[in-house]
Amino acid sequence: MAAVTHQAQAIGLEGSRSVEAANDHELLAAIRDGDEAAFGEIVRRYRNPITNFVYRMIDDYERSVELTQETFIRIYTSASRYQANYSFSTYIYRIATNLAISELRKRKRRRFVSLFSPYTNDDGEPVEIDPPDSNALQDEVLIGDERRRAVSRAITSLPEKYRAAIVLRDVEGLSYDRIAEVLKLSEGTVKSRINRARNLLREKLTAYI
Amino acid sequence: MNTMIGCSQTKRLIDEADRPDALSFEASNHVAACVSCESFADERARLRSLLASGTRVSVPMNFDAVLKAKLEESKRRFAFGWLSSAGYLRLGAATAALIIMVVAAQQAGLFSGEQPQSAPETYVSVKEPPVPVAAEPAGGISDGRGPVITVASHYPAPQFSRGNRGPARVAGTGVPLELPGENYLHEDTGVMLVRGPNGEGEVSLPMVSVGAQSLVFASAGASRRAPHTIGTSF
Repeated sequence: MAAVTHQAQAIGLEGSRSVEAANDHELLAAIRDGDEAAFGEIVRRYRNPITNFVYRMIDDYERSVELTQETFIRIYTSASRYQANYSFSTYIYRIATNLAISELRKRKRRRFVSLFSPYTNDDGEPVEIDPPDSNALQDEVLIGDERRRAVSRAITSLPEKYRAAIVLRDVEGLSYDRIAEVLKLSEGTVKSRINRARNLLREKLTAYI
Repeated sequence: MNTMIGCSQTKRLIDEADRPDALSFEASNHVAACVSCESFADERARLRSLLASGTRVSVPMNFDAVLKAKLEESKRRFAFGWLSSAGYLRLGAATAALIIMVVAAQQAGLFSGEQPQSAPETYVSVKEPPVPVAAEPAGGISDGRGPVITVASHYPAPQFSRGNRGPARVAGTGVPLELPGENYLHEDTGVMLVRGPNGEGEVSLPMVSVGAQSLVFASAGASRRAPHTIGTSF
């Protein structure tokens, strides 16, 4: 409670107990009416999950924080257009996904062609060569760091259409139907993409599984 | 063990399970009996665990302060969004469209309060001078050459002339030539040769064109005034 109030005040908003008890739809309705405390509560609930999701998508912490802030600004400025046809978390993940994919596409346009990765996948997209490192490390911390880096590299090497689906499913733990809503795809397409993504990741992470 | 489902379907169910250990009864039975599917299930479980085990990042300490500053900036932009370049463009386009509509309405006479003019009639009325015209001889039978219009030889033929500085007038009389409307293009004057029992006379007629092509085209022939070709449109 104190932490919530502190965070709300840090953003210049005043938290209240009723705001904390409200569900997401009620908070959005309050934001539409200009209640900035409600907006502060929405920020408190979703800032870390959205930042983590965007970070897994683009593998850039600073930029992921900026995109998360942009996500909340869009939530605030378009609160009047929000329709409660589906859950708010689906709505905010959709905004974050679109921002992350836009960022990936910007980077793809800026990306230099590597002379060491002339290979492409089935979709014609360049694939980074990332052979698994079979050398054993002595220190557990280093092993953990190396594993995390390998996972991050493996995820970011996926085509973006597979990346969003696998991150939402296996990192953020969203269900298939909610992923389908976020990505505006059919559930069958989502399952297919996740299956393809797991097969690709299995090849890249053989040494760690 | 009798397995009800095949390996491909079992692997699909393993992949689509909410949790690696939450398989359906049929899939669990198949995995228990199938080494390949058991290996696949273990591999998938490890992979999912590996992906979920990554360190979850948190927002930095100044996240809220930066967000607040960006939000204030966004509010300012939103409040004056209509002043952006796109807003100016829309305003300019709307103003130009309004001006065009007003000018078009003025051209159409919607603001003058006058009744719109009807389409010009296809005739030219000439105020005939009150002069006698020699009547046809009794019986009015021509000499076989078929003159229809008779002009007295002593009577000067009406000359329609168009001055450059004023309205068209009937030559020799000063009677203004009335044209039904300004839509006529009074291009030039032609001469019609009329033969009668008293001789021949020339009648000058204004050549009026309506549109691009004359409705009536008459030629005076090549006997005397061959170059004169009269295009009349009445």
